[in-house]
Amino acid sequence: MNIAAADWQALWLTLKLAGLTTLLLFIIGVPLAWKLSQWQSRWRHGVEVLITLPLVLPPTVLGFYLLLLFSPNYAPGQWLSQLFGSPLVFSFTGLVFASVLYSLPFMVQPLLAAFSANGQRLTQAAAALGIPPWAALLKVLLPASRAAIVSACALTFAHTLGEFGVVLMIGGAIPGETQVVSIALFQHVEAMEYGAAHRLALMLMGITTVMLLMARWLGHLLSPRGSHKEGVKPVMGVLG
Amino acid sequence: MDITLPLFGTATTTSGSSGLHVEGLVTSLNTATPWQLSLPATGVFGLTGPSGSGKSTLLAALAGLRRCRGDIAFANTVWQRGRRALATHKRAASLGFQDSRLFAGQSVADNLALARKYSHRPLPAEECEQLLKAFGIAPLLHQPVELLSGGEAQRVALLRQLFHNAPLQLFDEPLSAVDRAQVLRNLLPTLRDFWARYPALVLWTSHDFDEVQLLAQRCLWMQSADLSAPLPLFEVAKYLDSKAVGDSCRSRIEARVESLRGGLLTLELGGVSIYADRVAGDYRKGDTAVFLLEAGDISLSVEKPGLSSILNCLPVTLTGKKHLADGRTRLQLTLTEQVIYADISQLSCERLQLREGSTYFAQFKAGSPAGL
Repeated sequence: MNIAAADWQALWLTLKLAGLTTLLLFIIGVPLAWKLSQWQSRWRHGVEVLITLPLVLPPTVLGFYLLLLFSPNYAPGQWLSQLFGSPLVFSFTGLVFASVLYSLPFMVQPLLAAFSANGQRLTQAAAALGIPPWAALLKVLLPASRAAIVSACALTFAHTLGEFGVVLMIGGAIPGETQVVSIALFQHVEAMEYGAAHRLALMLMGITTVMLLMARWLGHLLSPRGSHKEGVKPVMGVLG
Repeated sequence: MDITLPLFGTATTTSGSSGLHVEGLVTSLNTATPWQLSLPATGVFGLTGPSGSGKSTLLAALAGLRRCRGDIAFANTVWQRGRRALATHKRAASLGFQDSRLFAGQSVADNLALARKYSHRPLPAEECEQLLKAFGIAPLLHQPVELLSGGEAQRVALLRQLFHNAPLQLFDEPLSAVDRAQVLRNLLPTLRDFWARYPALVLWTSHDFDEVQLLAQRCLWMQSADLSAPLPLFEVAKYLDSKAVGDSCRSRIEARVESLRGGLLTLELGGVSIYADRVAGDYRKGDTAVFLLEAGDISLSVEKPGLSSILNCLPVTLTGKKHLADGRTRLQLTLTEQVIYADISQLSCERLQLREGSTYFAQFKAGSPAGL
């Protein structure tokens, strides 16, 4: 296949964005989902809805408000550009920021589901053996939720790969800075370069398919050996 | 007015003693009957009572896993005063759950290692080896916990709690799914030996009174969220009788150890030597051994029997007779303070013409004493 250097650049940028977003979201999402799973308050519903919003809102809504937030014409944008050394609009940093918000539910929801199912019982059991809460999260809850973590990371990564609306609103299409594959593809189609569009589209499909397959394989690998065997009953009292 | 706030972890209790002290403990279950409890720093205590009477709730409240009001102090440390409570993981206690709650996604060995790592008084390695063997866990060490059977999971959970070796150990039905024969023959003797070597305050909850009889000297009774003080075992047995649970009847016997050779234990009971084989526990001359005798395993003879393969023969006095609903007769036999029950058929009872106050000979095989 004959792919232009600009397209390779877009591809690399996309993978970099998705990888960085997944890493940041993992670091933010684990404690967030953990605290949420333990939080017993009516405010919890409100926070959960807030986190779920990017799932249902058109990406352009989020993009629009982020554009206003990042705008150097207002105080928050000025503060942010001071913090990061340059304005966030039309920058890679801004894209990462937006992707983290945009993909938040894809990381938090699977983790929250796993923590809510296992969390209470296993953290109680850990506390009843003198294991402090943070150690219980790292050494008990995370190993028990490995399958959920893999699927949360895979979903986040895949979702960020396909990001379009938000990028268009706040990033534009600066090659090497904000021009991700989905944008480059759109530009090829607009310019009637169907061959180049095909190549990028197929490449994206290939990457996501391989990645989802790998996530499945990893999930299978992490599930207890032989648990699919007949005659071996899942243990009473063991969660996960 | 007392305005000083309780200092958790440092404040001394009013009584100044080192055991467990519970005053006016109220959960949503026992609003009308606040719990009081005073136990020494070490010793094994049973806790039994009908289902749903609040046993698990009491254990959860002591561990700090259930919202409650009142005062709890252990080993001169305040755990709860009023509504203020010390976090569960900061209490010098461990709690074993009915449903094992093994740490999923890890092997049996990982589970055990984690409990040992967070112990404030970890067991020496050789002690762990010994427990692993006695519990039959050694071959399961590298299995993921998801593949264990219910009984195996319970044994691992119990072992995990022993590895943690907390000063206060709370157990909630820890052996309900484990094979009975294994419990009586191996696990209970192992546990008794373990707590003799590593003393702790143990609260053992069970519906199986045999477990309590073999492990504990005293037992708490909980009925309709009403908690008793520690009672002697025979009083708790009376409560259980009044609830008419089970059709088997086991007598708890205490005897002095004479010798242990090749798994055959010789005991002295009322001036007579008795024998027990397949003994799992570790006994020394002069120890007091506790075992159970199934009423159905005991036969009665009017005259002193001759030489027989049945090793044990005790001269006993018949002190009571009761006809059972299933057609048998339950005899109450007494031998210097010890009460032994024997179930015999109605026909035997008539043939032997048993009279209360007379002396007879009770026989049982060396394999009958359980829990040694």
